[in-house]
Amino acid sequence: MSQFFEYLKMAVSNIKANKMRSFLTMLGIIIGISSVILIMSLGNGAKNVITEQMAGIAAGQIALYTFDDTGSYYITKDDIEAIKENVVGIKAINSYMYIDGNTMTNKGEFQVSASGQMASYQYFSTTGILNGRYFNESEYLAGEPVCVIGENDAVRLFGSTDVVGLNLDVILWDMEISFRIVGVEQAEKESMFTFTYDNSPISIYFPLTVLEQVYGVALDTYYQIYLLAEDHADTSAITTQVVDLLERRHQCYGEDIYQFESFNDSMQIVNTVINVVTMMISLVAAISLIVGGIGVMNIMLVSVTERTREIGIRKALGAKTRSIMLQFLSESAIITMIGGLIGIISGMAGAFLVAKIVAMVNPMFAFTPSVSIRTILTTTVFSSVIGLFFGIYPARKAAKMSPIEALRRN
Amino acid sequence: METLIEVKHLMKIYNPGENEVHALDDISLRIKKGEFVAIIGQSGSGKSTFMNMLGCLDVPTSGSYFLNGRDVAGLSDDELSEIRNREIGFIFQGFNLIPNLTAFENVELPLIYRNVPGAKRREMSMASLKKVGLENRMDHKPSEMSGGQQQRVAIARALAAAPPVILADEPTGNLDSASSKEIMQILRELHEDGRTVILITHDNTIAASAKRIIRIMDGKVVADTGLEHGQDGTIEEIAAKIEAQAEEERDYVSKKRK
Repeated sequence: MSQFFEYLKMAVSNIKANKMRSFLTMLGIIIGISSVILIMSLGNGAKNVITEQMAGIAAGQIALYTFDDTGSYYITKDDIEAIKENVVGIKAINSYMYIDGNTMTNKGEFQVSASGQMASYQYFSTTGILNGRYFNESEYLAGEPVCVIGENDAVRLFGSTDVVGLNLDVILWDMEISFRIVGVEQAEKESMFTFTYDNSPISIYFPLTVLEQVYGVALDTYYQIYLLAEDHADTSAITTQVVDLLERRHQCYGEDIYQFESFNDSMQIVNTVINVVTMMISLVAAISLIVGGIGVMNIMLVSVTERTREIGIRKALGAKTRSIMLQFLSESAIITMIGGLIGIISGMAGAFLVAKIVAMVNPMFAFTPSVSIRTILTTTVFSSVIGLFFGIYPARKAAKMSPIEALRRN
Repeated sequence: METLIEVKHLMKIYNPGENEVHALDDISLRIKKGEFVAIIGQSGSGKSTFMNMLGCLDVPTSGSYFLNGRDVAGLSDDELSEIRNREIGFIFQGFNLIPNLTAFENVELPLIYRNVPGAKRREMSMASLKKVGLENRMDHKPSEMSGGQQQRVAIARALAAAPPVILADEPTGNLDSASSKEIMQILRELHEDGRTVILITHDNTIAASAKRIIRIMDGKVVADTGLEHGQDGTIEEIAAKIEAQAEEERDYVSKKRK
């Protein structure tokens, strides 16, 4: 062990004796490692920000819909109750209906996109309430004409967000309904997935049952409902159970009447795509690492030839095959390890620089590059392995030299 | 005196088969502990090959070589490394110091390969450098020293691990006469200290410092004579005698060839 330290010392002193050459050799490894780190951390950072922003939209949501030509299958209120009772991991179930209309305030006339929702709407909202509250279960059951509007829309309609208690008269299906505003929702955070434009319709959210009251129609069957899974619940298990249950209740086993789209599944696909792209680019970067490794081997071979006499002297003085081998191996390992370290640091610095530039150019796409400890460990190990692998051949060549041959050469 | 080196029927044949070269042709001899032997011969006589055998740098084609009681003829590369490390201190014509190491680090090398722990190693290396009078030069690189000083570092390195045999191959070949005298003085002192010194040279004046002369020609030992300093005269006189003897032998051999 103490001898191993001696070999390291020898290796370091030799690297120091050939500073320029050692640095150029390292450069190959530095470029390889830093590009792998750069790509990985940019890829991870981008993935994180996309996942986070998409999760903000609809994490855990599952759309469940009927799909048949006859139109004779649907989901009933009883079905919803049965799902709530039998399937664990569901936080809320909702169904809604959009109706276009218009309204007039002293700020002018506005298009309205009104949606009748169930009381569970509050769980599906991703922004949270700013003033007031969401409408509740009893208002829903009673079909009371109350509504929630968005922060920006409140400003457009009334010039203020302090509008709880005001009435908003909306003409829907040629009938005027006077909604009492009970809550103002926070505006959505800007992200790369939000699209807003001037004169977009005002969105209002009200109990679906209002439509029953006003128009006298029964809205107790649905062609599409939305499930919200609890945090960290297994959405694919939930969907199979729900579909199973519905097929059982409507006796349509295996006919694929009830279909679903899970947001988490879609997100998984996006993640997979980003991962694959990151891996592919990293692979290309890793090839440059191998080129760097060959550079190390090349320089070590030159070094062995140059130091033939030294090897002869060392062998004459009693160095064994193993000693010479270890000395040269330590040299290539140290070169690649230092190169790897510098590469990791410069790769991370590069990633932060790129992120900074992106944030400056377009704040919407701003992200923090993220490097996992695993990535760092893997690349460190990889660079050392490259050092050892490409160092073995030259080191063996040195170690196998016959001392007289080596001493004879100049 | 105890026998330190014993070679029997030592042969070294290059290019076996056609164009065989018998670099060593049936050499048998003994060297006792504490002897000061000079092996002399012209270039191409086989003395360098013989020195490589004695130094365990090469293995003979046939014959046996007992060094310090151990048969080293059939040992592996690593075993030979071990033997060289423990039994032999080399002094080369070209000094063979490692250029990017300091004098001290060069002297330390055989001790590193012998696994001597750090503090002990330092002490032994220092003592060795002191013996050749270079303790104040220990941090100098070979390129910062004169030839004579470099050879003294090499001697310190050969002595550091206190091997029983000092093997000096033309130690003064690259030195001026003043440095040569200095080096030979050190070798004589080593002999007086009781070490076995084997000197390989083609220079009779250098060989005259030894107490026994072995002359090699065409891979064979052609003469093996003891010298008594004081009785036989000064070093110059002895050198002249050796030269005359060599002349006789050359005549004899060339007559025989005809």
